[in-house]
Amino acid sequence: MYKIFLYDGTFEGFMCAAFHIISEGIDKDRAIIVSKDEYQPMFIDSVREIQNDFKTFLEMRKGIIEKADSNVFKKIYYAFLSDTKDKEGYILRYLFLLLTHGKKIKYLYSNDIVNAVEKMAKNVSREIGKYMGLMRFCDTDEGFLYAKFEPKNDIIKPIAYFFKNRLNEFCWVVHDVKRNKIAIYDKKRVQFLTCSNLKLEATQQDEMFQMLWKTYFKAMAIEERKNLKLQQQNMPKRYWKYLVEKN
Amino acid sequence: MDIFEKLEVLGAAAKYDVSCASSGSKREKHFGIGSTFSAGICHSWTDDGRCISLLKVLFTNECIFDCAYCINRRSNDIKRATFTPQEVAELTINFYKRNYIEGLFLSSAIKNSPDWTMEMLFRTVWLLRYKYQFNGYIHVKAIPYASLDLIRKTGFLADRMSVNIELPSEKSLRLLCPNKTKESILKPMEFITKVAEEEKNFVSAGQSTQMIIGATDDSDYKIINLSRHLYKKFKLKRVYYSAYTPVNHDPRILKVDSPPLLREHRLYQADWLIRVYNFSADELFKSKDENLDLEVDPKVMWALRNLDRFPIEVNRASYEELIRVPGIGIKSARRIIKNRIFHSLDFEDLKKMGVVLKRAKYFITCNGKTFERYLIDLPPEKIKQKLIDKNSLQRPQQLSFFDREVFTSVITGEI
Repeated sequence: MYKIFLYDGTFEGFMCAAFHIISEGIDKDRAIIVSKDEYQPMFIDSVREIQNDFKTFLEMRKGIIEKADSNVFKKIYYAFLSDTKDKEGYILRYLFLLLTHGKKIKYLYSNDIVNAVEKMAKNVSREIGKYMGLMRFCDTDEGFLYAKFEPKNDIIKPIAYFFKNRLNEFCWVVHDVKRNKIAIYDKKRVQFLTCSNLKLEATQQDEMFQMLWKTYFKAMAIEERKNLKLQQQNMPKRYWKYLVEKN
Repeated sequence: MDIFEKLEVLGAAAKYDVSCASSGSKREKHFGIGSTFSAGICHSWTDDGRCISLLKVLFTNECIFDCAYCINRRSNDIKRATFTPQEVAELTINFYKRNYIEGLFLSSAIKNSPDWTMEMLFRTVWLLRYKYQFNGYIHVKAIPYASLDLIRKTGFLADRMSVNIELPSEKSLRLLCPNKTKESILKPMEFITKVAEEEKNFVSAGQSTQMIIGATDDSDYKIINLSRHLYKKFKLKRVYYSAYTPVNHDPRILKVDSPPLLREHRLYQADWLIRVYNFSADELFKSKDENLDLEVDPKVMWALRNLDRFPIEVNRASYEELIRVPGIGIKSARRIIKNRIFHSLDFEDLKKMGVVLKRAKYFITCNGKTFERYLIDLPPEKIKQKLIDKNSLQRPQQLSFFDREVFTSVITGEI
C-alpha cells in the first residue's frame, strides 16, 4: 500500500512533506507526494495532508545547504518549478540520495535520478534566462506596466524577482496566462495572486513605441546574412505569441 | 524627418557593428531606473540570427570621412539623418522600461568634427544618466581624433567604450581609410586602458574593438596575432570580427560576393581557443600567411597536425591536456577531473558528462582502450574526412554563439 502525502502545491509545502517522510523513516518507494489539486482519491491508499509550516521549510533548507551547498538547493527549487510529470517523486529520491552522498551528489552523473533532476533544473533555468530578455511590457491607462507570458514551467516567482530589481522604479504586473497567476509590484514588494480574468490595454503612446520597436527590429536585419533557422533556434516559436516584433 | 524615419536610417546604419555584449559591468548602482546583469541578456534575434541586446544606433550617419568599406562614407549618395541627444535618450528609456533592450550602444559617423561628434555622444549619455537616472548598460564609441578630455568625461558615464581597429593591418588601413591613421585609433585605445586602470567606475565593463574580415588580403594568422596583441597590450575584453558585407563598389576592396561568414566563425573559435584554452597563435598556424581550415574547427585542425600527442588517457591526463582534445570542453574537463577521484571513467561516463564522443573518440583512451578497435593508427586525412563539419559548411553559425555559452553557464551556476 502506498502512503500518500498531500501538500498545498507550493515549494515550501513540498519540502514539509519531504521532511515528514525523511524524519519518520518512511520507505521512499512507498511514499508519494502529490499536490492536493491533482490528487485523485483511491481507497487503497493511506492519505495524509501535510500542513505548510515555514519553520519546517527553513529547517529543510538549512539541512540541504549544510549537506551540500546553496547551488544544490537552488537546483532543487528550479527542478520543483518544472512541468515534468512526477517531479515530486524525482526530487524526493534526489533528497534521499543527498542524505547518503552529501556534496558528492553533484558528480553522480550516471545516476538516473540525479540526471533527471539536473535536466529539469536546467530546463527551468534556461526558460527563466530566455524570459528575462523576451518578456515584453506595455504601458496601461491604469499607470502600470503589464506583461503577459505562457511559460512551459511555473517560473513566475523567479521572473518577478528579477523584474523587481530591474524595473524597481515602476509599478508592474506580470501575468502567466496559462496558469492564471499574476505578480504585482507596487514599488515596494511583490505579491503573487491567482486571477482568471484580467484585461488590460496598451495606451496609444505605448502603441507608438511598439511601432518604433518593430521599425528598429526590421532595420537591424542584414539581408545578406539572412538565417531564419538560426533566429528560430535562438528564439523558438513558442515565445513569439507575445513578442511585439513578431506580431 | 520624424523619429520613425530617423530610427530606421540610423538603426540600419549601425547594423554592421557586430558587438552585442551587455555583460560584465561592475559600475556601482545609483538610485534610478534599471540595472545591469553581469552575464548579459539577449532581448531578441534578428532575421539573420544575431542577438539584439542593446539599442544599437548611430547618432548620425553624416560623415566627413570617406572610408572605402563604409556605407556611410562621404562619397555615397544615401539618406542622411542625425538624432538629438534628447531623442536617443527617450528612445532608450522607453525601450528599456518595456524590456525591449538591455541598454544603449551608441556609435556615430563623424559629422562637423570629431570633437563635435564626441560632444554629442557625451551629452546623450549624460542626459540618460543624470536627467533620466538610467542605470542600464551603455556602450559608447570613442571617436578617433576626439579630444582625450571628452573621451574621459564620457567614459565615466559608460559601461563599455570601444574604438574600432577597423582593419587587421596598417597597410590595409592606409589603403581603405585615407582619413584615419594607426595612431588615431591606438591613441584613444591606450588612453582608455590607462584611465580604466587608474580610476574606479571608468568603463567598468572594459573596452572592446572590432575589425572587418575579408575586405583585404590579411591572413587569419595576422588577424589572430593582432588580436592577441590587443588583448595583451590594451587588456581588451573582446575583439569582434565582422565578415565584410559588400556595401560599396570600390576597386580597393577585395571582391566578395557574400560575407565570409564561415571564416568569421572560425576566427571566433580560434580567438576563443587563445583566450580560454591557452593556445598560442603560433601553435595554430604554421606560417604567417596561413588561414584557418574552413572544413574543421581550429581545435580539430590543431589536433590533426599533432597526432603524435594522442591518444591521451582520460583517467590520467592533466586538465591542460584534456581541454585540448576535440570534443572536450572546459566544463566536461572539469567534470572528468572531479569524477575520476571516485572511480575510473569509461566511454559511457564521458558521454554523460557532455563529452562529444563523435569528435573525441579519435584522440582518447579509457583505461587503455580506444572507443572502437579500428581507431588505432588512422591516418589524419581519414579522421578529417569523418570530422568535416558539414552543417557549418552549409549554415555558418554566428557570433552570438559564444556569448550564449557563457550566459547559460552563468545562470545555471555551472562554470
